[in-house]
This record gives sequence, structure tokens and C-alpha cells, in this order.
Amino acid sequence: MGYLLHILILIGIYVILAESLNLIAGYAGLLSIAHAAFYGVGAYVAALLALNYAVPPWLTVPAAVVAAAAVGALVAWPALRVRDDYFVVATFAFQVIVFSVMNNWVALTGGPLGLPGIPRPDFFGLTVKSHGGFLLLTWLFAAAVAFVCWRLARAPFGRVLRALREDEVFAAALGKNVASFKVRVFAIGAAMAAVGGCLYAYYITFIDPTSFTVMESIFIISIVIVGGAGSLRGAALGAAVLVILPEALRFVGLPSSVAANLRQIFYGLMLILFMVFRPQGLIGEFSFRRR
Amino acid sequence: MLPQLTANALIAAGAYCLVAVGFGLIFATTRFFHFAHGAVYAWGAYLAFLFVKVLGLPLPVGAALAVVLCAGLGAAFELVLYRPLRARGASPLVLLLASLGAYVVLQNLISLFFGDQTQTLRSGVVRVGLPILGARVTPIQLVIIGAAVLLTAAVWLLLKRTRLGLEMRAVANDPALALVSGVRSSRVILATFVLGSALAGLAGILVALDVDMTPTMGMNALMMGVVAVIVGGTGSVPGAALGALLLAFAQHFGVWHISSKWQDAIAFVVLLLFLLFRPEGFLGRKVRKAEV
Repeated sequence: MGYLLHILILIGIYVILAESLNLIAGYAGLLSIAHAAFYGVGAYVAALLALNYAVPPWLTVPAAVVAAAAVGALVAWPALRVRDDYFVVATFAFQVIVFSVMNNWVALTGGPLGLPGIPRPDFFGLTVKSHGGFLLLTWLFAAAVAFVCWRLARAPFGRVLRALREDEVFAAALGKNVASFKVRVFAIGAAMAAVGGCLYAYYITFIDPTSFTVMESIFIISIVIVGGAGSLRGAALGAAVLVILPEALRFVGLPSSVAANLRQIFYGLMLILFMVFRPQGLIGEFSFRRR
Repeated sequence: MLPQLTANALIAAGAYCLVAVGFGLIFATTRFFHFAHGAVYAWGAYLAFLFVKVLGLPLPVGAALAVVLCAGLGAAFELVLYRPLRARGASPLVLLLASLGAYVVLQNLISLFFGDQTQTLRSGVVRVGLPILGARVTPIQLVIIGAAVLLTAAVWLLLKRTRLGLEMRAVANDPALALVSGVRSSRVILATFVLGSALAGLAGILVALDVDMTPTMGMNALMMGVVAVIVGGTGSVPGAALGALLLAFAQHFGVWHISSKWQDAIAFVVLLLFLLFRPEGFLGRKVRKAEV
């Protein structure tokens, strides 16, 4: 039972990450492999505040959100100068720099040893400890994030993002401030990813840099691609599929190190196969196939 | 201190240069970021390990076999993955995502077959380097520098002096025009993958002989190659070499004052500065920001 709840909690966290990346990559068409960096910034800010200053979660989460939004706006900066594959490389650079800070600034982040003993979140006297409690908490936040994404996608804001994706020059010609939209969508997406990071830190009670690597970023991108870029339901579906399917490997009785590698091979293959046979994903509307 | 730092920077530059020239060649003719190039590099090292340490072949034979297989791996990427994708009108971003997937698969296959621990190609005792102008340099490090210089010059000559090179430049310059001029661009692209991948495999083997190997070695090497190509300017062989030199010197002289664990961060800060202020690099063509 605990295992089942664990999987459901992970799905909730990945729904948050996929929905927020979907806003950036699916709606605005800005393919980013820096999402694990935002996720990590959220986790580290919440964990450090909770550990060092005993800040309650209703303050750590907003702090993490603000910090990640600032980093997100910074990542959007190169998007104003370069595009497409050059931009992907720029987000990659941010990802590596953020990882480098987590791994090397030992005095602040504990370096490779990570931050153990993150306290259970306490909401005004109500402490969340059980798997069931975390499931409720995670899915509440996931629903909130999905709702915000849904509203944004339907709002004029979302329409401009799609216009940006399809034809940036045209959007600019209509008088839309392209730069401002890019910075805002990154700040919003990063802020939502930070919520996922906070939940992860509180749930696992231990974080270290290995949870926030380039590979994690590629995993989140795979979720968006498999589910379908530019579709809110697609991102949720992708999260469920890519979290659940590799779990089957566990039941075959493989050693955990082999299972970890096979899991990555699985999503690498999914990425390739979807690009070849179904670039719009299971139910997406956009396939990075402009021009 | 100074001679040693210079020597270390030159050695790193040699390794980056070998990756950058191959990657840059493929990027110039196909116009997408072939991330799986990093996996070819790592497989070069591990194939050499397989032939030399597991099967007991002599090092030159094993290394040569590994380089040939890497060239084959590059050709396989092009034939099995990229060419069908291009035939379906895939954009550079689709190709990039597919190659990211391919990278992930190949890196994890290394972990499955050879384990995550560090493996070594070296044999015998570790020798102290030869003293050269006040720096200590091992023979394999000299080979890295020598190979980088010779092969970069060879690729440059190939591009400037041979029929194949001319065709490569034609495809890089304008694929449609090359095609109507009678250049079979699919064959030229295949040749670039073979050549670039052989260079990557060789670089992987040489670096593994110097500092051993891990399954994740490819990602880092690839990113340094990418940074060198962007800093130097895409589509230019001397540019890639120049970028590799600049990157290596920035990293090694940067760590004079701060700890060497920040080398990756330095490389990517250099990259971001270039992307923000001079995305075409030193010797490259203009990058399109947007197009109608």
C-alpha cells in the first residue's frame, strides 16, 4: 500500500513539473533542459530555510517560488538573443551551473552529501507525516498548478505564447512584447517547478544534487514529449505513463542498479520513438516541427 | 606553476579540439546538435577497454578497432535515425531531441555492460611525467596535443583541398543549391558522420589513457566541444580549435584562484557570455535570431 501511495505521490510531483515545463516548451515553444535546475532551486531553498531557520512551510514554499522565478527569468535572458538549438544549449548551461553550485558550494548546500533531516511540513499545528497525507498535499498542489496552467493557456497570455511558438516575428508585428512574454513564461514555469521541488524535499526529507541533474531535465522533457507538447492533459498523461511503466522493471526482480539504467534506457527509447513516429506525443498539438 | 598550468590547458585544449572538430563538422553539414556525439566518444574509450583489457589485444590494434567501430556507430546514427527523420521533414529541434534520447540510451548501455565504476586502459606503474620547459607532461598527454594539432590540420586540408571537402562545404553552405549542383548531400552527410565519429572515438580513447573512464564521460566532453564550437564560431575548423584553446585557458587559469571543481561552471559561464553577446563566435557566420 505504501508503495502504491509512493508512486502516486511521485506522479503528482511529476505532473507539476511536466505541466510547468509544458507551459514553457509546449505553449511557448521554448525547449528547455533547465527544468531540473528550477526544481532543485525550489527544493534547496525550502530545505535550507526549514533546516537552518525552522521556517514553516507556508513561508518556505513562497520563498522557493520567488527564488526559482528569479532564476527562471535569468534563464529566459538568452532566449531574447538566440533561439532553437542555441537556446537549448543555453538552458543546458544554466542547468550545469546550478548543479555545479549545489554540488560544490559545500558550506551552503552540503555538497554531494546533500541535506538530510528536513522536518515534516507543519501547517498551523497540523503535521503531514503519513503517505496518505503527502498524497493529499501533493495532489492538491498538482491540481492547483494544473488549474493555473489551464487558466493561463486559455487566457490571452496563452494565445500570445502560442503565437510566439508558431511565428515570433508575426507576434512581434502584432505589437506583442516578445521579450517580456518569454521572461514571464519562464518565471511562471520555474515558480511552479519550485513547488514540485518543495514537495519533494518535504516528502523524501533528504535532498542531494543527484536528484537535479541534466538527466532529470531530460526525463521531464520526455514526459512532455510523450504526453504531448501544448496539451495540459497530455503532460499529466505523460507523467503517469513514464513514472508507472518503468516500475514494472521492479517486479521482474532485477537488481536496483540495473533497473535504474533500464529505466533511463526506456525513456531514452521513448524519446527516440516518439520523435520518429509521433512527434506530437500521445495527445499533443505541437511537435517542434516548425519550418 | 605557470608552465604547468599552460601545459594542462594545452592538454585539455587538445582533447576539446578533437571533440569540437568532429562535432562542428557534423553541425555544419546537418545543422542540428548531435548530442549523441558524446556517447560515441565514451563508447570509443569503452570499446578500447573491451578489446585491450577484456579480450587482451595489443593497445594499437584495440584502439584502431574501436575507432573503426565508432565511425560505424556514427554512420548507423545517420542511416537508422537521422536520415529517416530528415526524410519526414524533421526540424533541428526534433533531431536534437532524438539525439538526446540516443545519448541517454547509449550512456546507460555502457553502465549496464561495464558498470558505473571507473575503468582504466592504462597498464603498469604510473610514471612521473617528463620535464618539459618546467612542466611535467606524460607521453600520452603529448600524444593528445600532437593528435589534436595533426588531425585538426588534416580535417582543415580535407575541407580546403579535396573534392569531398568541397562537397562538404557546399552542403554546409546551402543544401538545396548543393543538391541541384549535383552534390549527393546524403552521401556527404554520411561521410561527415563517419569522419566526425572516428575523431570522437579517438578522443575518448586518448583521454581514457590519460585519466581513465566513466560512463558519464561523454556528456562533459561533448559539452566542452559544443562550447568550443560556439565560442570559436560554427562552420569553421580553425574556429573550433581557437574555441578549444580559449575555453581550456579560461578554465585552467580561472582555477588558479578558485578551486578546480568550478571548471564546468567556468566553461558554461563563458558559453553564456558568448551566447548573449556574440552568438556567432569568433570566426563564425551570423546566427539567426528569428526569421520570417
